[in-house]
Order: sequence, then C-alpha cells, then structure tokens
Amino acid sequence: MTERASFLWDTAGATVTVYIRGEIDHHTAVTVRNGIDAMLFENRPARMILDLSKVGFMDSSGLGLIMGRLSVMKSLGGTMTVRNPSRETEAILTLAGMERLIRIEYTEGVSSEAADALRKKAYEPPKMATASVVSLEGIGRSNRREHNGQARQRKSTRKGRSAKVPGDSA
Amino acid sequence: MSRKKSIFNGKVINKMQCRFPALSVNEAMARATVAVFVSQLDPEITELADIKCAVSEAVTNCIVHGYRSCEGMITVTVSILEGRVVKIEIKDKGCGIPDVKQARTPLYTTDAAGERSGMGFTVMESFTHAMRVTSKVGLGTTVTLYKCLGTPPSIEGSGRRRGGS
Repeated sequence: MTERASFLWDTAGATVTVYIRGEIDHHTAVTVRNGIDAMLFENRPARMILDLSKVGFMDSSGLGLIMGRLSVMKSLGGTMTVRNPSRETEAILTLAGMERLIRIEYTEGVSSEAADALRKKAYEPPKMATASVVSLEGIGRSNRREHNGQARQRKSTRKGRSAKVPGDSA
Repeated sequence: MSRKKSIFNGKVINKMQCRFPALSVNEAMARATVAVFVSQLDPEITELADIKCAVSEAVTNCIVHGYRSCEGMITVTVSILEGRVVKIEIKDKGCGIPDVKQARTPLYTTDAAGERSGMGFTVMESFTHAMRVTSKVGLGTTVTLYKCLGTPPSIEGSGRRRGGS
C-alpha cells in the first residue's frame, strides 16, 4: 500500500550524499538506518549530506534516524547536513527545532533530479540491510559540486525556497 | 477551553473503525486508512499530512510502548463530527502508561536505545487541535485526537471558514 523507504548514495571526495525516498516511519526507519550505517562505516566520509527532497512522509522515527546518523558521523569525526527537506518533512523538523542542532540547506532540486535519473539503474542491495542501495560514484559529480557551491552562497531561507519546491520537480 | 470542548462534542455524522495487529508494517496502513476516510471532507493537503503524522505517532506508540513489540490488537476509530471536526481514537490493551504527564513531556522516552526521539506525544499535540490520553497500567491506553478542518469559528473567534466550491 505504501512506498517503502529506500536510499541511494553518491560519493564526491570525502563527502557522501544520501538520497532517501519513500516514507520514513518506525517500520521503514530500521532498514534505512542499517543500510546507511553500513555504508558510513565502510566509507568513513568526512561529511554526509542527507537529501530529504523525495521523502513523502516522516514522523518522529525520522527525527530519531537523523539524530542517530548525526551521532554516527560525530563518532567518525565528520559532519552532517540535511538538504532539501520536502514539505512533508519540513514541518516536523521545524517542530523538533532541528535547525538548531543540524545544518539544513536548500538547493534548487537538481540533486533529486539526479537521484531520479540514477534510480533507473540496477539496484545493488547492501550486505547488512535490505534497503535498496546503489553507488552513484562518478556520475553527475560536476553538477553536484556546482550546486553544492550554489547552496553555500545562497543559504536559502524558507521564503526563498517557496519559488520552487524540490519535491515538485519530478 | 469550554468553547473548544463544545465543538469537540458535536453530532457524529460519519464513523469508521478498523482493528489490526500491533505490527509495525501496519503503521502505514493505519494512517492511509484514516486519511482516505477523512478525505470525504476535502481537507487541505497540510491538514491531511498533520492527521497522518499524528495517527502514525499514536499507532507507533501502541506498538513500541503499549505492546512492547509483543502481540496485541490496535483499534482505530475515526468519527466525523459536525463543523468539520475529525475525532480519532487510537486504543490498545497494552501495558499502559504509569505517568501520562511525564510521558507527554517533549523528548521523554523509555526506549532511548531504539533511537526514539521522545517526540511522539509532542507531535500528536502539535499537529492536532486537542489531545486526550487516558491510560491504566496493565489495561491499556486510549489516545483521542481532535482535528478541526478549516478555521472553526469557536476556536479563532473570527467566524472565518474555509469556503467550499
């Protein structure tokens, strides 16, 4: 009945970008959590970007997922950023005051378009989880680097984002 | 507060009940079922999202805390009251809550190891217009949520209602 949560990930240097899609609740969070942790411990990135533009639903289990990954990244000596939270996730992130705990940035949705294009490629399940994971290494790096740069310059606000909602790009 | 209560005691126009095992896979089913039933009132997307989130939190609480991942049944009853008020009752016969006031405290959780955020009741309370929690240790817990669609005049006092066309 509901779309199960899955994620894709992409590496660019010491940065890993994780694109989560689907619905994050208590049931699906476990699978996503295990898959992301397996990937993090294998790659040990200096920075993780969690792209939430394709998350259609998130409850407080998603908050636990984000805080847990922040804790893992800290234990690895890295940092974490939440990127492009969808309208469905933004309300609960705001309610929990996540912007005080974690950096939240907005781009113009290109990251999720890239994830959509790459989603069509073959999925490769990770060893430690049943979540759908595929490495996007080497694909579209230049685009992502460019938009990472734009994001740093813009420091988008909610008002600025209203012109184009990342979740609507598909 | 008394004015608020009055709109939450309105005449029942339509009612739906579903009962399902306390399995985490049913969380999505529960919130989707409630959303479909409430859709007959033509709610705003944000209102529907609020309801889905609150129901998901309540059902998750039943599974994680009420039954502690053991067998049990959850009953969800949704009533549409006059004045575009939705009443959602989520009931379990689990272990119950010894201190409801403490449980409703933001960030309070008894399951820190499971990466719970402790925001369940806070989310339910924030995404609805009223919440009532009744619980008895060993007998179970009932969470009742009230969501007013549009802007009910008795809450805002403005008399403004969402126009239907």
